[in-house]
Amino acid sequence: MSNRFVEAGLSAPVNVTWEVTLACNLRCRHCLSAAGPPAPRELTTQEAVGLVDELHRMGVFQVNFGGGEPFLRPDFEDILAACHRRGIVTCISTNGTLLDRARVERLARSGMVAVQVSLDGARRETCDAIRGEGTYERALEALGLLAASPIPTSINAVLTSANADEIPELHDLAGALGVALRVSRFRPSGRGAGAWDELRPDAAQLLGFGTWLAGRGDVRTGDSFFSLTPQERMGLGLNLCGAAKLTCCVGPEGDVYPCAFLQMPEFRAGSVREEPFAGIWEGSRVFRALRRLRIRSCESCHRFDRCHGGCPAVAYHLGRDLGRGDPECLERCVSAVAAGGPGRAREELEP
Amino acid sequence: METRCHVLHPSCRVRQEAFGLLFYDMQGPRLLFARTGDMLDAGVIARGLPVEQALRARAPSSRAAAERLILHLVEKGFLREQPVC
Repeated sequence: MSNRFVEAGLSAPVNVTWEVTLACNLRCRHCLSAAGPPAPRELTTQEAVGLVDELHRMGVFQVNFGGGEPFLRPDFEDILAACHRRGIVTCISTNGTLLDRARVERLARSGMVAVQVSLDGARRETCDAIRGEGTYERALEALGLLAASPIPTSINAVLTSANADEIPELHDLAGALGVALRVSRFRPSGRGAGAWDELRPDAAQLLGFGTWLAGRGDVRTGDSFFSLTPQERMGLGLNLCGAAKLTCCVGPEGDVYPCAFLQMPEFRAGSVREEPFAGIWEGSRVFRALRRLRIRSCESCHRFDRCHGGCPAVAYHLGRDLGRGDPECLERCVSAVAAGGPGRAREELEP
Repeated sequence: METRCHVLHPSCRVRQEAFGLLFYDMQGPRLLFARTGDMLDAGVIARGLPVEQALRARAPSSRAAAERLILHLVEKGFLREQPVC
């Protein structure tokens, strides 16, 4: 029933992903934003707080901060505080390297923030090979500080071919630390495009993960895996892409996109420097097109009502066509494995 | 005299949409789409005032529908009961 309301268009996003800076002190191989140096003209503090005001007026419930590494922005805690003062809940995606006890205590005072710390393997060598030397230990230190605080905390792992076999172990690690596990989907954007062939999970790994996920209601996935979601989890999440319908992304320089994985000129819906955010949300050509998008090639599939064609961003990155259907959906994974076993599965998933 | 009323749960938010009320629970996070039209004033609920005060329509059928909705929202954890209005 809710799909009808969502597709009719909401007055504002439910949540906004805001990449507050492109600056990052790590160079993760799969980074969706290819973060490194800051963007040339990142929003000023005044502009950022102005955007918070506007999101509040529109009724946005939550802002998910990412980057880059958000804590590299000297005014990041001011922006957070501006959200909290207006009743907007926040979630921070961080690599954890800049968290210390004092910062965690300050964050905890708001009672309105959740933190995700990136950790891409249950073993040091796996994580460090993707995120850089020493990242595993530093993430664990940050998780320890957060776990001792009242801040809702999760490990955020991007599922790749390198760590697919370690996800159950990562789940155990999260449990031992007293935090949640969130698994996100690897998409070929940013630096991830260059690492795609090496790091993308094959069909057998995706199916294995889907099967494992079926019995793990406590593992969070956002809407990452809705095209792969087994029946047992259908009630927990969305069954359609929320980009431009429930959510959107604001980049470091104020450009607005349908989602973090479609930050390309052809999907730029507008800039908060040039027009009000509300006008972009309501009227941009890009957003309207995504709201009308129908994945016709998937409509005859028996799972169509469950995934509505999956993630358009992956389809676009791999085939330059939003309407082709998700190349990594459950049906295609099953077909790929049946056709030739895991050895052929990677090739068979090509769009 | 009413001895109980219902208010938005502290972990929840609500706003008006064309179809009615959109509830958000940050603990989930979870969404709930309530097809209430303009029966209830989202602004009143969002300010933490009793949902009973947010009822715009006065017809008995509307009141009954609102009471059913309130029970549903309590069950789902979006509202909580308070002893005194």
